[in-house]
Amino acid sequence: MTGRWTPWVAGLVLALAVVASLFLGRVVVSPMDLVRGLMSPDLSLASLVVTELRLPRAVLAVLVGASLGLSGAVLQGLLRNPLAEPGLLGVGNGAALGAVISIYFGLSQAFPLATPLMGLAGAIGAGVLTFAFGRGGTLTLILAGSAVSGITLAVLALALNFAPNPYAGYEMNIWLLGSLSEKSWDHILLAAPFIVAGLGILATMGRTMDALSLGEVQAKSLGVDLDRMRVLALLGVGLAVGAATSVTGSIGFIGLVAPHLVRPFVGHQPSRTLLPSALLGAALLLMADITTRLINTQSELRLGVVTGLIGAPFFFWLVLRLRKTAP
Amino acid sequence: MRRALRIAALGAAAAAALGFPAVAVVPSATVKPVRIMSMNLCTDMLVLQLVPKARIASVTYLAHDGALALFPGADAGIPLNHGTAEEIITQRPDLILAGDYSTALTRRLAKEVGAPIIEVKTAVTFDDIRQILRQVGAAVGEPERAEAMVRRMDATLAGLAAHPRKRPLRVVAWSGGDSVPGRDSISNAIIEAAGAVNIAAKPGSTYSTFDAEQLLVAQPEALLYGGGGPVHPSLRTEDGQHRIVRRLYGDRRIAFNDVAHNCGLPQSAQSAYDLRQAFDALPEQRAHP
Repeated sequence: MTGRWTPWVAGLVLALAVVASLFLGRVVVSPMDLVRGLMSPDLSLASLVVTELRLPRAVLAVLVGASLGLSGAVLQGLLRNPLAEPGLLGVGNGAALGAVISIYFGLSQAFPLATPLMGLAGAIGAGVLTFAFGRGGTLTLILAGSAVSGITLAVLALALNFAPNPYAGYEMNIWLLGSLSEKSWDHILLAAPFIVAGLGILATMGRTMDALSLGEVQAKSLGVDLDRMRVLALLGVGLAVGAATSVTGSIGFIGLVAPHLVRPFVGHQPSRTLLPSALLGAALLLMADITTRLINTQSELRLGVVTGLIGAPFFFWLVLRLRKTAP
Repeated sequence: MRRALRIAALGAAAAAALGFPAVAVVPSATVKPVRIMSMNLCTDMLVLQLVPKARIASVTYLAHDGALALFPGADAGIPLNHGTAEEIITQRPDLILAGDYSTALTRRLAKEVGAPIIEVKTAVTFDDIRQILRQVGAAVGEPERAEAMVRRMDATLAGLAAHPRKRPLRVVAWSGGDSVPGRDSISNAIIEAAGAVNIAAKPGSTYSTFDAEQLLVAQPEALLYGGGGPVHPSLRTEDGQHRIVRRLYGDRRIAFNDVAHNCGLPQSAQSAYDLRQAFDALPEQRAHP
């Protein structure tokens, strides 16, 4: 397959996943009824199921999955590290911490925007901390990101320790595993502006990533302002992943896996991984969400659990591939 | 001491089984435990109602919220514990009330300080509540109080049973779909006593998933949600506010007291009574799509 077709193929996979997510759920509604529900202005059970439950869930999955996929691709290109993903810079954990603090203090009840805004503040705060300590080099940025991740996780654990009641503790734990269930258009309205802004910033980073693939010194000689680009990447990842995490909770591995899956098909040119990674990230998250809906367990199977179960073995594949290609 | 308590508990159980009033085997005042330690929220709620404060060594740190919801101020001034085995050494109780499972370390340390452990099972029916009330009442040396509470609870339940609803309402306790009380839960017993049917009652399930799609298709006539009484903020309150739920059930949501729905207590009967009042006050249901 040539690189030219990769975005189309990824788009087709995503379209199929969207259609499947509209037709599959805990409740069996016939496809004809669902189509009629989508088309008809009259209220029916099928129209409510598809327009108020499945469609917003699919839209949110696309936005969140695209944020994770694109962020992963940008970070892997920018840091020139195959293990880079939004969690590596502490951004995802920062967002989760902000959201958990908002739940902990009941801010979300007083002010509906509080959870996404706190998630965003947490993501950007963690990003700023990572950049402040890690500026100057890729390795230092990764190390600083790991340190910030560790600190945010520790503070999260502290919040769980002192949870105001056992339910809040349980919910914070659940929050860290991610979920798209019971999400409505209200959640999309809250998060979408920030996610779209973040995706917009990240989408402009292709040329920088291509220049960086030659090495930092060469990229600088081509006129790339590396510090500015790192700040922009942090801002983009912070906006997109921060807003996504603050609505759905932490979802791992999509950001790591999606760019690796598309890379063999696009000829290893970093800028060409961006769009397919975003599309495939969205498709992967939708498929994981469909899995959580179809496996009818007594306790809800969380999205982060499914992406983890699928994503973690991917490391083995990555190791085997590196061993084969290593000189 | 421990032997006396065991005899008292056995005696109370035997008396109950034979239909004799439990008072006949009450241990004398001198053997009543005077440093009772409760290591579980549900036993906290029982001991606070059965025993004078002076005889309670400690209750859990969760007891304050529970007491605030059911009998404000009853816990004032009582030391707290965090359910850890080490606290048995520092507080040196002469009776320990714990939940279904106590750890091996808890049992060993309890033996060391010479305190019997009474494991109180999780109540999921009103029969369970009668049983644990009598069990705890006998253990703490207050069987008459426990029996009086059982009688009051039974009177409330009998009042409800004497005036059944013409048609049981179809309801579900729904605050988001990730943990909805099923058949083996005290919530289910309360709902049934109030004259309704829990549509999420699957055999053998305490709590299970019941997502918004299932809710729409099942078309319950009312939604019950935790939150009646002082509660700390949580996502549950937000999850239950999905816009489709607001649209279809805005005027058919009934708040219940979380504590009486999580612990089987004499107040669970009152909770059923309150639910019945709320059912009777529901507006006419609009036709669903």
